[in-house]
Amino acid sequence: MAEETERYGNVKLQNPNFKTVEDSDSRFQDLLMNDSAIAQKILASRRRLIDQASRTTCYKAEEEGGCGVTGFASSIPVGGKHIFEPSVQMHNRGNGKGGGIAAAGLCADDLGVSREILDDDYLLQIAFLDPAAREQVERECVLPFFKIDSSGKIPAVDDYRDIEGLETRPPDVWRYFVRVQENVLKDFIARSGLQAMPQRKAEDEFVYQNSYRLNQQFYASLGEKKAFVLSHGRDMLVLKIVGYAEKVAQYYQLENFKAHIWIAHQRYPTKGRVWHPGGAHPFIGMHEALVHNGDFANYHSVSEYLRQRNIVPQFLTDTEVSVLLFDLWNRVYEYPLEYIIEALAPTGEMDFDCLPPEKQKIYRAIQASHIHGSPDGPWFFIIARHDPYTRRYQLIGITDTSMLRPQVFALQEADGVQIGLVCSEKQAIDATLHSLSQEDKRFSPIADKYWNARGGSHTDGGSFLFEFTKDSSASAAADFTCTDKFGKVISTPKDKLPADRTIEIFSTPAAEAVSQMEKALEEKTAWQLFQFIRDNLARWDFNTLSWCCQRISAYGAAGDDCREKAIEALTLLIDFRYDTGAKKRSSILEILHRSLHELFAGVPKIAGKASGRFVWIDWQTRAKLRSPKKTETTLIIYAKEFPPEGDECDARLICAAFELGWKRFMVYGLRGQRFQGCGLGPDTEGVRIDVYDSSGDYLASGIDGLEIFVHGNAQDQLGQILKAGKLVIYGDVGQTFLYGAKGGEVYVQGNAAGRPLINAVGRPRVVINGTCLDYLAESCMAGDPLKGGGFVILNGLEFDDNGAIREQAAPYPGSNLFSLASGGAIYVRDPQHTVVAEQLNGGAIIQLTPEDWSLILPYLQENEKLFGISIEKDLLTVNGARRKPEEVYRKVAAVKLAVLTDVDDDA
Amino acid sequence: MKVKNNKKSAAAEQWSAPGVKSSPSRFRNPIGKYKIRRGPECIACGKCAELCPEGVHVKAGAKMEKPRDFYCLGFCCQNNPFYCIDKCPVQALRLVVNPLCETLGDYRWPSDLLISTWYMAETGEVPRSDIEYCIGRSNGGFDKMRFNFPEKMPEPVIPDDEISTTIELNRRNDGRPRITIQLPVYGGGMSFGSVSLSTMLSRARAATLWGTFGCTGEGGYPEHLAPYDDHMITQVATGLFGVREDTIQRVRIVEFKYAQGAKPGLGGHLLGDKVTASVAKMREAVVGNALFSPFPFHSVYSVEDHKKHVDWIKEINPKALVSVKVSTPTDVDMVAVGSYYAGANIIHLDGSYGGTGAAPDIAKKNIAMPIEYAIPKVHQFLKDEGIRDQITLIASGGIRTAHDIAKAIALGADGVVVGTADMVALECVRCHNCESGRGCARGIASTDPRLSEMITIEWGAQRVINLYTAWRKQLVQILKSFGMRSIKELVGRTDCLYHLDYQREKDEGRRAVGGGN
Repeated sequence: MAEETERYGNVKLQNPNFKTVEDSDSRFQDLLMNDSAIAQKILASRRRLIDQASRTTCYKAEEEGGCGVTGFASSIPVGGKHIFEPSVQMHNRGNGKGGGIAAAGLCADDLGVSREILDDDYLLQIAFLDPAAREQVERECVLPFFKIDSSGKIPAVDDYRDIEGLETRPPDVWRYFVRVQENVLKDFIARSGLQAMPQRKAEDEFVYQNSYRLNQQFYASLGEKKAFVLSHGRDMLVLKIVGYAEKVAQYYQLENFKAHIWIAHQRYPTKGRVWHPGGAHPFIGMHEALVHNGDFANYHSVSEYLRQRNIVPQFLTDTEVSVLLFDLWNRVYEYPLEYIIEALAPTGEMDFDCLPPEKQKIYRAIQASHIHGSPDGPWFFIIARHDPYTRRYQLIGITDTSMLRPQVFALQEADGVQIGLVCSEKQAIDATLHSLSQEDKRFSPIADKYWNARGGSHTDGGSFLFEFTKDSSASAAADFTCTDKFGKVISTPKDKLPADRTIEIFSTPAAEAVSQMEKALEEKTAWQLFQFIRDNLARWDFNTLSWCCQRISAYGAAGDDCREKAIEALTLLIDFRYDTGAKKRSSILEILHRSLHELFAGVPKIAGKASGRFVWIDWQTRAKLRSPKKTETTLIIYAKEFPPEGDECDARLICAAFELGWKRFMVYGLRGQRFQGCGLGPDTEGVRIDVYDSSGDYLASGIDGLEIFVHGNAQDQLGQILKAGKLVIYGDVGQTFLYGAKGGEVYVQGNAAGRPLINAVGRPRVVINGTCLDYLAESCMAGDPLKGGGFVILNGLEFDDNGAIREQAAPYPGSNLFSLASGGAIYVRDPQHTVVAEQLNGGAIIQLTPEDWSLILPYLQENEKLFGISIEKDLLTVNGARRKPEEVYRKVAAVKLAVLTDVDDDA
Repeated sequence: MKVKNNKKSAAAEQWSAPGVKSSPSRFRNPIGKYKIRRGPECIACGKCAELCPEGVHVKAGAKMEKPRDFYCLGFCCQNNPFYCIDKCPVQALRLVVNPLCETLGDYRWPSDLLISTWYMAETGEVPRSDIEYCIGRSNGGFDKMRFNFPEKMPEPVIPDDEISTTIELNRRNDGRPRITIQLPVYGGGMSFGSVSLSTMLSRARAATLWGTFGCTGEGGYPEHLAPYDDHMITQVATGLFGVREDTIQRVRIVEFKYAQGAKPGLGGHLLGDKVTASVAKMREAVVGNALFSPFPFHSVYSVEDHKKHVDWIKEINPKALVSVKVSTPTDVDMVAVGSYYAGANIIHLDGSYGGTGAAPDIAKKNIAMPIEYAIPKVHQFLKDEGIRDQITLIASGGIRTAHDIAKAIALGADGVVVGTADMVALECVRCHNCESGRGCARGIASTDPRLSEMITIEWGAQRVINLYTAWRKQLVQILKSFGMRSIKELVGRTDCLYHLDYQREKDEGRRAVGGGN
């Protein structure tokens, strides 16, 4: 054993100092003392598994590239059909060569077993690529070891060709509910020296090793693969096919199979004609399944690290080693989730310095021990996990520390149902909620909150999770919470209630409200109408609001002027933030959008005879596109059925319409379609595009003179190479915003994600009212702002739940501000001087001059007009006192890189 | 802006090769392989001028002009009846190898290759002297490969005018226009800033007249290129310099430059002194500040991002073809397949022997996989995937001669891209001073206004045209030797090649240079 201790010496934390330093974290002590012995034994017992494993399996066989990942956790179990919609919408992220889903928190009835069996047994699912192999597999790997409480082939459609688009026959899958036979377990424990382990955990290890052996014998070592284990955890299952992920749900008839947690993955493998789904995600550890978007740079290093611990991957993909790492740190080392996340995505740079000292000590130890196993390169994980020892179920999203992959989290909480979602794209979240809300009125199609994680940060750790306890007897889960890596709870305001979505007919409100409403419609301008509703909305109930919105859309049907007023009023209500009283903003948005859709749908159709200013076109009538008639000015495009990209997408329709003479566009019903505003070329003065619902990536890229308004959150790669024109976003925006932008006037109501304005040149002028994840304006080359160059104003503000403005914790929390920039400038609202030189990488923080203020003031004035963010009250007022601009704003300027400049950051 | 329609497909039917026009060196003392020294014994009898068919000797009035020895056939002329050294009545002439040749060039471009390329750029013909014009002296790469020419020309001998050197650039069924180029060659991207405007325009004009394409490089699209829109490829590189919808819409092909073999792992790095006022204006950056393109596209960190990126360009220009230019990492084959599925029409592998005018010295070294490994790897992988015939595979990185072109194709490429060879046609001497703003002695890799004046477009274009003409003649001869009617038949024909390390050269009967001249 002495030899093994040395060999596995690296299981213990290496740094001898930690044996002597006083440490208040008792968990940490436990790790050092007790569990390391068990950990060693577990790993040692795996030695015999890998003896036959190939020596050369440190290289990836399956080159992943990328994919789309999505997942949600709901307090009530829901059918697999709801993972269908977002998977379909992410087709462009996969190429149909592999897709998979996992479900956790299942329903005993749907599985045909008792609740006890579902809770206690391992749900072993084996895919038989060669149906004839089953007899041998069972004989050698199942029957001798397990007590089988239930087994059978899982249901599937009769002929896979009946499912459109499914080209490869999915494997037959057999499902076994098992426990390890008593004497087998005893023998295993004795042989492996695991007597100190709780027996149930030793049983877990047996199941793990047995699956490994099965995979080795019937998959990894064979040219012609015969069978492999899909999953073996408790109360969870995995299925995967060669094809798009939603085909899994269709083929295995999971549409109404219910679970609390669903995750899915669309694969984009770049190797090989794939005829079997072994390489598809999700991959399993023990009681968790992981899907992954990204591509490691250090697969070899991670494999070596695992190999030192007697873990040899069998499927040779990044994803598999990710979950093997998770399982190692979770089950063998028994780290709490926070430490596992730290090992995967180590806290660094300024964020590390901001941690409390106890955490720094622990994190330093974790990093020192596990850095070689930490995945490097773009990655984003979604994990569906069941911890049977605490009976907690979790959906976890973790991003890499450089935030190279897009990720969005969302939360919706109502009385009776809570749901958390995490996806590669916001529109996939919206698609899931849309699907759920159609079936169950307690769900709303709009989440209460959307946000991004900041990888490797001390603020959220780059990770959020949704967890709950499953109550077997009740229909809904208990204690549904959302927390970040550190356990900080994310929640929605409890004093705000959703609308009752089962009510579709609204009764007429009190006479006074009715007459005020009618008067407002007749007499007021759109802006005044908006003000009227905004000022009264807090005290109205949902019925009154819904009724008023219906009145607006009915009013709009009367004629063009009415229509214009109605559209504008509803749009303003969608755009602005204000006090909503005891009503959830997401419900209000749903009501507003519904009325707006009704309004749009009432517009004369392009193929019809009526003519006015507005004309409506959709996918079905796209061939009818023609030049505007004399009175026609505005083309309304219902984008729902258009493909997300390609020659037939709605963005191309806009280009074609523009060439025919149209200049005003309103696009609605979007479900992630991309490229709106692209392709119109130069000479677009006078063109304006209004975009509603879930717009997609690359919107407004390359625009050269037109104006585009996004009434809601926006996605990734917006404004790439934007040359001139105006872009306004009433919400947050995603990754690499304005990459390589060359000009334009841009206003963002909320936050940007990673790498905004990277490589910008020329003269873009941008206002971001929130903050961003990191890498703002890296390599910016936008000249001298005072001589016609570009700049970004970063306000670091946000709206609270009552629509009031408040400062965020920091205007810029990241560690890489204005790196390597040679031109442009950042004007950051930072009265507390939280931005420090350590965050810079070649710039300098200097005093705002009157010249600077005159330069940015007009943009702040426009910002005020657009978003209602007051210069006097919101920007220049700090802690209740009005301050001078140079006391509030600071300038980050470019410096010649060769010259050392002292940072001048004290007023 | 309306996307231009492909006006060229009809015109392509009527295309005819541009003519060769003699384009002598711009310099008073062009460099040749040999030097003729005329001693004081000379009596100016003019006999040598009468004899020499190459025009080395010229009598001007009562005097003999300085010998134009860069035309001299050299020692191989010894047995000729017009060998001036012997025939001079007063033995005034001496023939030596030009001492400059000892310092000129390097292993990849030895002096012979430089001088023979200059000769071809001047005359449109392969040299008649013993100068080497096919193989370099790198002791690796293409220089270790030879063609397996059969002993005899296969009969019946195919007439030259029935041999085709055209290739297709769009082999997918994606509804986008078919584009045929007349040579399996198009110009590599050289940005305005790394080279002068006259260099760009010379290459653009030559490419247009030769029915092929040139490429803007990553520095933007100078308006002067407008007449050549139909024959230009807009390069979209990671710094997105000068990229506008307009520059994407006006061309027929858009090239994504993910990486470059000469500097893999780095983006472009135009040093400060090359960022002149005009360069800064084009790129909308700051004069005198170095310009870095990042290594990756920041919007592309995963292959599905790449597909999105390709979709974006395709949305802006529904008629354009997309080329993806990558360097050659070990998984280049997977990159190629991924690009195919992302919608690319052309995969362009840029190997490590390539050059650059926009990188600091330290970056110009051989990293990434040599191109002669990458081509067959990708070719085979695409075949195994069943998609080889739907994608055009282009190779670049140190393609110097017609034989290099043919070897690249025989290894599995459909065609090649050249860069340095075009520069050599313009009289580049390979002094490797490109990265400095005033370093280019030949006025090629500089936007310095004075140095840029050294090349006129008319001369520059003709030099490249002549070179391509000479190349085409050689390609035809190579194909003829194998009994092939089209360059497309040579693709992947590794059986036509042998590698010196792996096969002993056969007896003297096998010729290292193809049948014919």
